[in-house]
Amino acid sequence: MKRQIPLIIVMSLGFLFFAHTFIPHKFSQDFYDWYVSWTKAMSPFAVILGIMSLFMVHTTKIQRKVPNWQYSFVTLGALVFTAFAGFAWGTNEGTPFMWLFKNVQMPMSATMFSLLAFYIASAAYKAFRARSAQATVLLIAAIIVMLGQVPLGQIISKWIPITSTWILNVPNLAAKRGIMTGVGLGMVATSLKIILGIERTYLGGGD
Amino acid sequence: MNFFDRMQNLDRRWIYLVVALAIIVPLLIPFNSKTYTTEPSENVYKMIDSFAGKDNKAILMCVSHDASTIAELFPMEVSVLRHCFERDIKVFTICFMPQSAPLVDYAINTAKEDFPNIKSGVNYCNFGYKPYSLFLPILLGMGDNIGEAVETDAEGRKVENLEIMENIRNYEDLNLVMDFSASGSVISWITYARVKFGVNVAAGITAVMAADNYPYLQSGQLIGMLSGLKGAAEYEKMVDVFAAKGKAFSKETINNTWIKITGNDIPTKFKKARIGMNAQSIAHIMIIVFIILGNIGYFVNKNKKKG
Repeated sequence: MKRQIPLIIVMSLGFLFFAHTFIPHKFSQDFYDWYVSWTKAMSPFAVILGIMSLFMVHTTKIQRKVPNWQYSFVTLGALVFTAFAGFAWGTNEGTPFMWLFKNVQMPMSATMFSLLAFYIASAAYKAFRARSAQATVLLIAAIIVMLGQVPLGQIISKWIPITSTWILNVPNLAAKRGIMTGVGLGMVATSLKIILGIERTYLGGGD
Repeated sequence: MNFFDRMQNLDRRWIYLVVALAIIVPLLIPFNSKTYTTEPSENVYKMIDSFAGKDNKAILMCVSHDASTIAELFPMEVSVLRHCFERDIKVFTICFMPQSAPLVDYAINTAKEDFPNIKSGVNYCNFGYKPYSLFLPILLGMGDNIGEAVETDAEGRKVENLEIMENIRNYEDLNLVMDFSASGSVISWITYARVKFGVNVAAGITAVMAADNYPYLQSGQLIGMLSGLKGAAEYEKMVDVFAAKGKAFSKETINNTWIKITGNDIPTKFKKARIGMNAQSIAHIMIIVFIILGNIGYFVNKNKKKG
């Protein structure tokens, strides 16, 4: 039963939504609206589940004193304090919540993302080698696109931004469309396998 | 160990140091470099500008990113808002990520500081954060009635009662949606709002994600795109050259105009992307130099081994 009930839910709802897409009847639209109202009710439970999960994972880490367990205190403290600041004083400009967002969240997130520049520079230096004809084409294309993205490219030659745009508009586009078509077909195949009960890995292992 | 061997085994911390200097120095000491505009950015500008002074036209800015990508996307948002405030264009904002909500407030507050007559609910309206589970119902609902779909704005007011909603009912009036994101979220606007209601869709996107959107740009499903810091810098320049002076867009003028960013005429907040482009230019050059040096070392060592 543990496997059959989820399979029945997935199969029946899968076929229903498939039918809804192709049947523009009022009954079909009403069913969809009814479903949407349920999804509104479901999302708060997802938030509660996420908070519970976060607390359970980090309290377990603290109790077992796993390596770097001290950081779990920071995570839980930040969660409680930020939520408290938002509930107590609101989230508008000039509130403690906004101060935390501007002075803690924003610089930390931006710092994490900006580390990418250092890794790209290091990886480009260590690994970007013209070892084969394909690697050479990739290398030349990368240099042209990088130059095309900055004013210097235009100053060197008007052909650099033109070539850069051509690379993005022709070979890049062809590859992207190929990938997107492949992904689309793969999604259809996987969805069908799930709806028909052939693909069951989402149910998890064991009995 | 010769020079090339040393270069091949260079400690990565030296590379980090050079990249850090290449980025920090131009940010601290801005210099003037010409910003060249591209067609996708120009198309976004022209479309938004075509709504200038029209009571029955508006744009919607959907902010779908968190603070990690503000360096690229925040200057775009401020520039687009500034354009709307300069040219009396009705603008709405919305976000479906909780992390985006403070960014929307921050962008609006940054842009409107210089426009004392701009009022919430009259010239602009922030719909605020809506849970992601409501994304599709709101997106589709706005095709019929924006007031009913969104219900309340960020300040808790009934949207349909706001002055800005006069002559704005659905996508026929709210005729441009611009999605700012570091992901492929703009595709949802194309798939549903564009296909079903014919609304114009534009994207403001990080440079790494730009390549993914070229198919939609070429097919015309995206009317234009601001890609990365370059797109933001281009938009800043167009707003300075045309919107701030009340002029209509002209390709010839934009190509021949050189806006200096080292003077004090333009507030820093309105030239952040152009200052950032200086750092990006130097960083790109450094990376190219590193790649070339690495390859020279590779071929010298390869020939030595053969010999």
